[in-house]
Order: sequence, then C-alpha cells, then structure tokens
Amino acid sequence: MQVFLQTIIGGVSLGAVYALVALGFSLVYRTMGLVNFAHGNVVTVGAYLASTFYLTSKLPFALAMVIAIAVTGAIGLVIERVLRPLENRDFDLMLIGTIGFGIVLDALVIAIWGATGRAVPSPVQTEPIDLLGLRIRTYDLVVLAIAAAATVLLVLFLSRTKRGAAMQAVAMDHEAATAVGIHVGRSNAIAFMIGAGLAALAGGLVGPLLYVSPALGGALGIKGFAAAILGGFGSIPGAIVGGLAIGVLDSFTAGHFQGYSELVTFIVFTVIIMVRPTGVFGERTVNRA
Amino acid sequence: MRTRLLLAAGAVAAWLLPYGLDSYAIHVVDVILIFAILAIGLGLAMGIAGQVNLAQVAVFGVGAYVTAILTTRAGLGFWVAAVLAVLATVVIGLVIGVPALRVQSHYLGIVTLGLALAFTSWVTNAQASGGAEGISGIPVPELPGVDLSSEYLYYYLELIVFAILLAFGLFVVRTSLGRRMRAMRDDALAAGSLGAEVPVLRMAAFLLASVYGGLGGVLYAGLIRYVAPESFNIANMFLLLGMVIIGGRQSLVGCVVGAVGLALVREALVDHPQIAQIAYGSVVVLVVVFAPTGLAGLPVRVRSAVARRRGRQGAAARLKPFQPYDPEPSRRDGETILQVDRVTKQFRGLKALDDVSLTVAAGEIRGVVGPNGSGKTTLFNVISGLYKPTRGRVRFRDADRTGDAPYRLARAGLSRTFQNLRLFGDLTVEENILVARDRSRTWESWRYLLRPISVLRRDRELHRHARDVLDRYGLAEFAALAPKSLPYGIQRRVEIARAVAAGPALLLLDEPAAGLNGEEVRQLAEIVRSIRDSGITVIIIEHNMGLVMTLCERVTVLAGGRIIADGTPAEVARTPAVIEAYLGDSMTAGDLPPISEVTR
Repeated sequence: MQVFLQTIIGGVSLGAVYALVALGFSLVYRTMGLVNFAHGNVVTVGAYLASTFYLTSKLPFALAMVIAIAVTGAIGLVIERVLRPLENRDFDLMLIGTIGFGIVLDALVIAIWGATGRAVPSPVQTEPIDLLGLRIRTYDLVVLAIAAAATVLLVLFLSRTKRGAAMQAVAMDHEAATAVGIHVGRSNAIAFMIGAGLAALAGGLVGPLLYVSPALGGALGIKGFAAAILGGFGSIPGAIVGGLAIGVLDSFTAGHFQGYSELVTFIVFTVIIMVRPTGVFGERTVNRA
Repeated sequence: MRTRLLLAAGAVAAWLLPYGLDSYAIHVVDVILIFAILAIGLGLAMGIAGQVNLAQVAVFGVGAYVTAILTTRAGLGFWVAAVLAVLATVVIGLVIGVPALRVQSHYLGIVTLGLALAFTSWVTNAQASGGAEGISGIPVPELPGVDLSSEYLYYYLELIVFAILLAFGLFVVRTSLGRRMRAMRDDALAAGSLGAEVPVLRMAAFLLASVYGGLGGVLYAGLIRYVAPESFNIANMFLLLGMVIIGGRQSLVGCVVGAVGLALVREALVDHPQIAQIAYGSVVVLVVVFAPTGLAGLPVRVRSAVARRRGRQGAAARLKPFQPYDPEPSRRDGETILQVDRVTKQFRGLKALDDVSLTVAAGEIRGVVGPNGSGKTTLFNVISGLYKPTRGRVRFRDADRTGDAPYRLARAGLSRTFQNLRLFGDLTVEENILVARDRSRTWESWRYLLRPISVLRRDRELHRHARDVLDRYGLAEFAALAPKSLPYGIQRRVEIARAVAAGPALLLLDEPAAGLNGEEVRQLAEIVRSIRDSGITVIIIEHNMGLVMTLCERVTVLAGGRIIADGTPAEVARTPAVIEAYLGDSMTAGDLPPISEVTR
C-alpha cells in the first residue's frame, strides 16, 4: 500500500507537467483544429531558456520562467503567422508545416545549447514533507500549485474575457465567427501564443525534475499528446485528467517494465485512439480535417 | 518519344555513374538509392493515398533488423532472411495501417509516430536486437559470380531493384488501384459512394509503403552490414518526410528527386548538420505554404504562369450537347426497388427524420421536396449508407441494406451526387469518370504482381468506356482538365455523368439544379429523363418547383423530418398541408404550374 501510494505521488507531479503540455495541444486544437507537431520542440526550447536564465544569468527561477514563456510565446506567434495561409484549408499540409518548424527548432536547440544535456538543481531547497510515512518533495507541490494556477487562469480567460469568448466562438465555427466580426487569424495567433507559453511553462517546471536535453521535448510532447487524447482532444478538463492519468501510468510502468515503460505508454495510447478516438471527455468528431 | 529518350539517357547515365566515383562517393550514392526507395513508399502512402504515415523509417528498421537477426542469430542465408524480412514488414505494415480504419489526418500522424517511437524504444532495450549497440557482422549477400561486398557492384543490385520499384509504383499510380487511392485522398466520402472500398484501400496503401520500406531495409542491411537504433530514429523519419514534401508528394518521380536532392545537400553540409537541418526544415515550411505540390509541381506552375502572362492561347474547351440514351424498357418496371421503412434519424436532441416511410418503384422519377432543414439530404445519407438510421430499415433491391457501408451499397447498384459537389479535385474529369466506371474489387490487386498485363488490358477497356460516357455527356473536350477549373454548371454535369458511369440501378440526385441557369435546367431535365429511359430509377431532391413538377411522376414532401404528402405532383400541389408548410400560407394553389404542364 505504501509503495502503491508513493508511486502515485511520484506520478502526479510529472502528470501535472504532462497536463500543461496537453493543455497547450488542446487549446490550439480546439481553436483551429490543428495538432501542433512542433509543440514538443517548443517545450525543449522553453526548458533550455528557463534553465539558461536560471543557471547562467543567475536570475530568480520565477523570472527566468517568465522570460522563457515570453520568448516561446513569440515563437508561437511566428509559427501561426507563417502557416496562416493554410488555415482552414489543408490540415495535412499544416501538420507537415508544424513538423517543419519542429525540425528547425530541434536543430536550433542543438546549435545553441549543444547535444548534451544539463541537470537543473531544484529551486526549492526545503526538506521533503513526511505525511503518514509518504515522502513528498516540496518542489512537486510547487509544480502542482503552478499547474493548477495556470489552468484556472486559462479557464477564466476563456470564459470571462471578450477575447477568450471570441476564441471559443472561433473554435465552434470559424465561418460564423468571421461573420460576426471576429478576426479569426488573430484569435488563432493568441491560441498559438498561449499554447507555446504553456509549453515553456511545462518545460521550465520539468527542468529540475528531469534532465534537460534536446530529447526532452519529444518525450514530453508525445506524453502530453497521449494525455490530451486520453482526456478527449480539445477538452480542458480532459487534458488535466489525462495528464495526471498518464503521469501515474508512467510511474507504474517505470517500476514494472523498466526500459520498456515508454513502449507501454505508446501502446496504451494507440489502443485508446483505436477504441475511443474522442477520449473520455471529447465530443468533437475526429475527422475534423 | 521525348520521355523515352529521357528515360534511355537516364538509364545510361545511371549505368555509367560508378565509373566516375571514388569509393566514398559510391557509398553515398548507395545510401541515397535506399532513401529514394523509402521515399517512393512514403509517397505512395502519403501523396497518393493521403494516409499520413510517420512510421516509414520504423518499417525500414524492421526490414533491416529482421534481416540482421535472422542472418546472425538464426544463421539463415541472406536471401532467405531477406524474404522473411519483407514478409515481416508486410505484417507490420498491416498493423500500422489498422488505426487508419478508425482515424485520419492528425490522429493518424500521431499514432504512426507513436508506433515508430515504440519500435525504436523496443530495439534499444531488447536483447534480441542487441540493445543500443545494435547488431554487426551481417554476412555479405551472395550472388553467383558477383562479389556484392564491392559497393560498386552493390550499386547495380540497388539500381535494378530501384528501377523495378519505381516502375511498379508508377504502374500502380496510373492504373485502377492508384486512381482509386487518389480519389480516396481527395474525397474519401465520395470515393466510398462510388464503390471504392475505403478500408481495403487504406490498408493497401500501408501495405505498399511497408513493402518498399522493407525492401529498403534489406538492401540497407546488405550494404552497411550493421544495424543500430539511431539509424531508424525520428530525425531520419522527418528527413524522409522532408524529401517527400520538397520533391512533391503526389509524384513518385518528385519523391525520388527530393530524396536525391536533399541527401546530396546533407552530404555537402556533413560538417554542419545543424545548418543542414535548419535549412531543410525551413524549406519544408516554405514548400508547404507556397508550393504544396513541391518540386514536381513546379513545371506545371511555371507553364501556367507563362500562359497567363501571354494571355490564353488556343481554343477554349466547349460543352457539346447531351446525346440521349437508347430507351431500354426494363423488365422490372413497377417492382419496388427501394423501400424505406419507418426510418428515424436522431442527432443528439434533433430528430432529422421522424418515422419516414417511402417506397420507390423501378423506372420511376421520384421527387423529394421540402423546406430547408426538412431532412431531405439526411434521407439521402441514410439511403446511401453515410448515416446509420437510429431506427427503421432500408431495403434496396430486395435485400435489407440498413447500415451497410456506402461502398457496399454502391456495388449493389446505388449511385448518388452531392448537394455541394464532391468531385475529386486533383484528378482530371476523365479520371473522375474512370473511378466510377471501375467496378473491380480492390483485393483483386494481386494481379498487379502476377498478371500485370491483364491489369493494363482492363484499364484500356475502362478508358474506352469513360470516353463513351464523356462523349455522351458532351464533356469530351474537358477530359484532361481539372474539375475545379470548370464553370459550375459543367461541374454539375460531370458529377451526374460520374454517378451514371458507375452503372447504377438507382440514382440519387441531391439538388442537381442548384446554381444552374434556365437553359442548363432544361438540359438537366432532358438528361434525367433519358437516364430514366435507359432503365435507371431516379430520386431527385430539388428546390426548383418548376423542374420537380414537370419531371417527376411522384413527389414526396418532407417537413420537419416527417412526410406530409406523397403523390403525383398535381395531388401534392393541392394538399393544404404542403401549401402551408412548404410554399407558405400566403401562396395559393393558383400560383402553381397548370396541370397540363405537370403531366408532360
């Protein structure tokens, strides 16, 4: 029982990171029907930016994160702007376009930071909390708190602001949204920007948990995608639940299957797509394209 | 003639190429040829059949690894191992293709990517595959009298395999199987409604791609004689994708050009891999946005740009009059061909069809009318198998066809057009007709391997039939044009010709007169009557009341998902419910066409 609970706790903080990655995927998907294949690479960029400002420039961790989020947000804007001519026209080509951006970002990361990774020390130096014999790292709690705050802010933005409501309208019907005077391109751009910002947030937070390397984003990207699929693509609560579920699954498979844990994740999520492509909370039809 | 000369020159150049290369260069060329084979396979899946496949490099890896394991661990000879390896990739290809039956586009991309990652994750960890170190010591393939350990001689082996595979790929693309795949790529729904077995075609696409991948893997194992996980990672998959996109995914020759070009650029920048990667990534983005057809599409674009600059030359294609069919009274006239029995179709809270029953006799022209949103198109979609009814049955030609897949219904003799036109955009007008005319089964595609001549013969026959159809509908001069470039009225006519070319017993026309001018509507009436006289039953949804009243023998009126009237046009026009629901209560029956006009 003790081991069981400890494994769950181990999975939850990574799960929160997966949830953030999944949120980024889902936000872009629900707004413009596009799966951003460069999302994982943006996570890598965010992780490197945050760790660089934190370690090399000796900035406070929070400030380093803010800078990383701002820079990746700008990258998101660039990606959206370049691919805008294809929006609502050819989804397969857009998908390949984001892969193209992923290729470029991947090479840029290696060109700037090198192919070897770096370890990031935890910004929170307190002792782990002992709760009924379970050890909980303080940083895990910080990750959970930030992820929760980001989710709440996102939901508030989408439901309470005019801009957020406009994005919801675009998500439902881009033609009708155009007809009532919403600038669809700008709405998509904001979705992309927030999505990229969330990716950087995830990357920055995961730095002290994992090893920051060029391969980080690929792994997180696919896990985040699996989380989004599991919860139902485009659904915000789905992304959260899916992220936590994949995190816990991860932590169990790592215990039981060692090197094959990734393999198990991939197979589980392939089966999910086959059995229920709309996920747990998903409603949209799959063949949007 | 010119293409033959080019081909001969290319063959001679390829044959003489090794004489001018040093030992490193020939190695590079050998690797490039393998990538070209992979690119053809990926082009077939992605460009021709429209199936996003990010597992091609993993399949390539399966081919190479199986060869390596069977030769080094099981001690089999190279060629035996090679055959088994290709068989293994066929199986893997089918497994990768299974998700395509459920999901498409982005989802398919991510699933295939996930499977590819699963493969690399497995080979890096498994004992059998030698872990991260991989497997070395693969024996040299033996060929009597030829020493294949020489990379120069290996080049010729690869060249022959490559030439055969390219020729086979082109053969597939230009005949029945490839045409259907392209139709499915452009519009899977319409292709299904014309009898293309979409699930089988998707599997066939993955199968073809993996055979190419597997053969590439075998050649790779024989060339490098060492396999390791990093040769088959995602970076190489994206490189291959870049080759196919930059070259032009819809053209196999383009894929080869892209593979050769990108591989050469990468070789030139071998000391600066990041720069090379940034360069080709950017080019992929630019190609996707500005030249989606890639390098292969450039000649056409340049030519049309030049033609536009100079102003159009040559005579524009003209629409010829329709030549009526010879009347052929069917023996089955008057028998029930279609019976819709108490069908209800519910979309969440909305009841689009509510307890609809309808019987259509063979040889009839039935009109279905009703206000917008009354469920007419939903009824067509239920009849043609696109929707499964929530309740009720559909019987077609004495068999219960409720919930059958559209392609099964199409093969049983049902054909339809669509309200918003669903022509295959990247196919020519003639190919649109050919896809419909082609009634062969996709699983018969084994003929491509064993009886290629019979495939060619059948294709020639199909072309002749398609010519006849085009002539009859006066479309002969448009045969080689893209449907999107034609005026709307002509596109409508192409779609009807396509639906009839499938040789149906029952034809469903969904608002065929929408967007047509008066003269075109008159021609349409003539065409529909002639189609009926040739023995085809017609059901027509139409808003043009004049057309419905003159053309149809019986009219069914839908409103709010229910049938509110059914009878001859004259009877229906007198029904008060119809006048109220459909024509609005301000109109009176006096506004309707006089009876004499109704019974032509």
